[in-house]
Amino acid sequence: MAKSSLDLLLKGSSGQNTRGLLRIVILLTIAAAAVASRLFSVIRFESIIHEFDPWFNFRATKYLVENGFYSFWDWFDDRTWHPLGRVTGGTLYPGLMVTSGVIYHILRFLTIPVDIRNVCVLLAPGFSGLTALAMYLLTCEMSTSPSAGLLAAAFMGITPGYISRSVAGSYDNEAIAIFLLVFTFYLWIKAVKNGSIMWGALAALFYGYMVSAWGGYVFITNLIPLHVFVLLCMGRYSSRTYIAYTTWYALGTLGSMQIPFVGFLPIRNSDHMAALGVFGLLQLVAFAEFVRGFLPGKQFQKLLTSMVLLTFGLGFAGLVLLTVSGVIAPWSGRFYSLWDTGYAKIHIPIIASVSEHQPTAWPAFFFDLNFLIWLFPAGVFLCFQKLKDEHVFVIIYAVLSSYFAGVMVRLMLTLTPVVCVAAALALSAVLDHFLVLSKPSPESQAKANAVDAKSYQGMKSPIVGIYSHFSKAFVSGSMTLYLLIFVAHCTWVTSNAYSSPSVVLASRAPDGSQMIIDDYREAYYWLRQNTPDNAKIMSWWDYGYQIGGMADRPTLVDNNTWNNTHIATVGKAMSSREEVSYPILRQHDVDYVLVVFGGLLGYSGDDLNKFLWMVRIAEGIWPDEVKERDFFTARGEYRVDEEATPTMKNSLMYKMSYYNYQSLFPSGQAVDRVRGVRLPAESPQLNTLEEAFTSENWIIRIFKVKDLDNLGREHSNAVAFDKGLKRKRASKERALAF
Amino acid sequence: MRWCLALLICALVAAVNALSSSGSRLLVVLDDTTEKSSYSTLWSDLEGRGYDLSFESPKSDQLSLFAHGERAYDHLLILPPKSKGLGPALTPKHILDFLNKDGNIVLALSGKSSTSSAISSLLLELDVHLSNDRSAVVIDHFNYDTLSAAEKHDVLLLQRPNALRTDVKAFFDGEGVLALPRVAPQTLGSDSQLLAPILKAPTTAYAYNPKEEMPSPDDIESTGSQLNVVSAIQARNSARFTVLGSVEALEDKWFSASVKAPNGKKVPTVNREFAKQLTGWTFKETGVLKVGKIEHHLATDGEVAAEDLNPKIYRIKNETVFNIEVSEYVYDKWVPFEVPGDDKLQLEFTMLSPFHRLALQPTSRTETSAVYSTQFVTPDQHGIFSFRVNYKRPFLTNIEEKHEVTVRHFAHDEYPRSWAISGGWVWIAGLWSVIGGFLAFVVVWLYSAPTADKAKKTQ
Repeated sequence: MAKSSLDLLLKGSSGQNTRGLLRIVILLTIAAAAVASRLFSVIRFESIIHEFDPWFNFRATKYLVENGFYSFWDWFDDRTWHPLGRVTGGTLYPGLMVTSGVIYHILRFLTIPVDIRNVCVLLAPGFSGLTALAMYLLTCEMSTSPSAGLLAAAFMGITPGYISRSVAGSYDNEAIAIFLLVFTFYLWIKAVKNGSIMWGALAALFYGYMVSAWGGYVFITNLIPLHVFVLLCMGRYSSRTYIAYTTWYALGTLGSMQIPFVGFLPIRNSDHMAALGVFGLLQLVAFAEFVRGFLPGKQFQKLLTSMVLLTFGLGFAGLVLLTVSGVIAPWSGRFYSLWDTGYAKIHIPIIASVSEHQPTAWPAFFFDLNFLIWLFPAGVFLCFQKLKDEHVFVIIYAVLSSYFAGVMVRLMLTLTPVVCVAAALALSAVLDHFLVLSKPSPESQAKANAVDAKSYQGMKSPIVGIYSHFSKAFVSGSMTLYLLIFVAHCTWVTSNAYSSPSVVLASRAPDGSQMIIDDYREAYYWLRQNTPDNAKIMSWWDYGYQIGGMADRPTLVDNNTWNNTHIATVGKAMSSREEVSYPILRQHDVDYVLVVFGGLLGYSGDDLNKFLWMVRIAEGIWPDEVKERDFFTARGEYRVDEEATPTMKNSLMYKMSYYNYQSLFPSGQAVDRVRGVRLPAESPQLNTLEEAFTSENWIIRIFKVKDLDNLGREHSNAVAFDKGLKRKRASKERALAF
Repeated sequence: MRWCLALLICALVAAVNALSSSGSRLLVVLDDTTEKSSYSTLWSDLEGRGYDLSFESPKSDQLSLFAHGERAYDHLLILPPKSKGLGPALTPKHILDFLNKDGNIVLALSGKSSTSSAISSLLLELDVHLSNDRSAVVIDHFNYDTLSAAEKHDVLLLQRPNALRTDVKAFFDGEGVLALPRVAPQTLGSDSQLLAPILKAPTTAYAYNPKEEMPSPDDIESTGSQLNVVSAIQARNSARFTVLGSVEALEDKWFSASVKAPNGKKVPTVNREFAKQLTGWTFKETGVLKVGKIEHHLATDGEVAAEDLNPKIYRIKNETVFNIEVSEYVYDKWVPFEVPGDDKLQLEFTMLSPFHRLALQPTSRTETSAVYSTQFVTPDQHGIFSFRVNYKRPFLTNIEEKHEVTVRHFAHDEYPRSWAISGGWVWIAGLWSVIGGFLAFVVVWLYSAPTADKAKKTQ
């Protein structure tokens, strides 16, 4: 009887309902798994905002929640980029902050008292659950197989390539942007398939949301026109495409222009010109289609070629003219660096200095995607087999994002969705063939073919199927094994590589117990509690957001690297002699200087290791005063020990890093554990700065900038006097000279 | 309540006692008490001006400039010691710390004996130089007292000095002749802005050690007005340090003496008045500036409400008013400060460098203060600016005021609306004509649909 009841459940209309219910349950489970696997960092550390950029987003969100939307819109931030300030409301993508602000207010309205910090920390995991659902919808558009969508959703939920940017606490634009990316693509595919204004408008709406959330929206802005362009070139123009694209472009562009940071870029920036061009092209093609109905073939051909040539020539000339005259901004530097990986290193050191802008190492693909990366080509191949409009989209997406992911580490993020789609298509095709218990019977196959046979007499498709149970079991067994390994790999990578807040460091003591190194927060809280409210802190720009967020003190430069000159000024102050640096510090009202020093602990991400970037960026602005060559020894080595060049030894950064460090060791035994060298026996001397604070493990060192000497002496003389050294009389030497 | 009372008592005590603007505890360091009697007029003058004098020998064990990390005295008067140094409580470091903590010092030197090396190295820190062997005396064969130094020519007779520059107030001027016996000369370093000569030697003077034989002209390091008889250092915190070359000029004997210059008349000295001017200036009875209220606000007609005063944030292109209230202390009271002669009190509106540098005009005055103000438009540049008044002149305490304000950009609703800009009318017309045209087209399209029976016919 049990069998019949199971039949009842699985067959017929109630069977459909059961499958629908199962599908919902599976999807919810996937979403829950996606959220759960991102909570490692909260469980292991605490509910804390991670890394660098999220600290700014968090601070901005707090401002939004406290002051309301309009003052956020008009926010002039006087606590960053001192003394320039930042028109923050007009230079950020507000989507993320507004989203969490809305969630916060809804929860408040429902009388759930929740801290805005927790909303921010858990936003990324929450949205990754939504991404999995959006992935399901997108993949379902690609394949008729019911398993493909579920597999894609599961892959998207736990693949490390996406987790790397969306663990709890990683409160960055990408947290919601990937969901929006995938969902916009889903709506776009829907619009193209149905030729519906409604879907096109929905795609435009979510595109607008995407624009408000992440600078990576340019990817969509170029990918969708490219899709349409390829369809046109394949001769697949249809009114569906026309309706979908024109709706999306007109509404989407209007929507994106509402974001102050984007403003008029969509009609003035070269990055957006492809969309405009395709829009124009589509009108011409539509016109040509219209005219074709009225003209005989030969004349139409002539008209078409001359029209194409004319418009292309005119359009290109116009573009060049507008670019040269400056109406359309030329390609941005970040864009160039996408085509030429060496470009940034030569022209824009500030972009090259960011580690996530480096080209991707090959193992990273496997590390982030595991077995999906070798299913990916198979999935793309399957798309070629079917090659409907939506498959063309997947192919274009796959080609473009593979290239970009190879150029820049962070663009692995845009590759991940298409890899999940393609891999799910491939895997579901495999499973659909191998996970079927019944043998393909020639009779039923023949019957099915008989319908087709009427139209194509000669093309009787052969009967394809797997007969052997062994090969079915083997293939599905090995696939299951791969899936299990994939899950294990994802969990391991998430737990070990992507769940560190990088504000709090964890290491293992010799006995295996965990040690928490909390120097950053220790130092930032020292600043918060021991310095005046508007004490200006100078540090390298990496720490600007954290100082603003955790210490709540004004900074000179921060991770929003919009002003290269100002950053170069800080670089110059750090890399010059004290006599040169001191006037710069005074001019910028600097009260404290903060450096990160890993020499004691062996923490390799410290300022001395980043020092050459400071030098390079400063050299970009003051090539006569700061020279990278001076920091290398005659043999071209970058050294900090006894052999270091005088320029190196006299630079403010070197002095601050090693000031008093020698006193930790027996004389002459001082060792730098990052660079693995023995240091000079004498500690460097600081005249214009005094040590204010050094954290427990010496990772953060804070120095106070001295005021001008009260008695008008040089600082070096004042320090010498305090040490009890007698000053030589200048006149005596002069008398001897006679 | 309690602190109110304490404040009141403090104010009363201050009103009764101290005439100096910065306290009345004066420590006199002198070698032995017998010496004390020869300066009795000076002591009674000082006590008459409200100072509590304490006398200590540099060798004394109780002598300490600091108690519990704070200054134990407000002012210090050091007479030249007979012994080699000033002892362990008055090392150069202690004295500089005393200056750094706002203490004022008069250091008297004497040409009778050589100055100790401790004092010399102290002065060296302040960029004041003594002669090489620290025992030179200023000689002038044209301006000497014929009565007391007919042979040695080492008692200088000088007029009291006028203002140092035209933009500087004179604090030491007046009629009469000063007698300055056996002056230990000082020369001032050229690169310190904190130094100012109070009294220079006459152009005909030169310095040499009387115990040695006459130096050859090559060995003379400095002559004439390069030599300073009295020099002043005002530190950045406005603490004052005065070096007086001749301690004997303060003695009773020279307060009441009469002197006669070569081919001049016999006249009484004005040393006593000069001593008052000198100690009065050093101990902050004169030349002290105080900044009262500083107000800045948006320019409005009529009164400014209290909550609109000193806002933290301005917008670009705001019309802004800045007021500063300055008083000057003259011996026993605060009076309105008047900027001397061709000098100007200036306001800077600064971000990295000044965007505005404006002369502040006196607009109103109260009994004790003058209000200077100006009005300007904030520059078309957002950022963190500061109102700065940086007024540093010789013999006046420093005014260095810096008030940070933020200058923000236009908010989204502060721009003129599109219809208010005549240049935008073309676009507005275009916009509405497209909308109107589209509506008209739709209406025409809808109402020009072919009738149903016509459609049947075509089929």
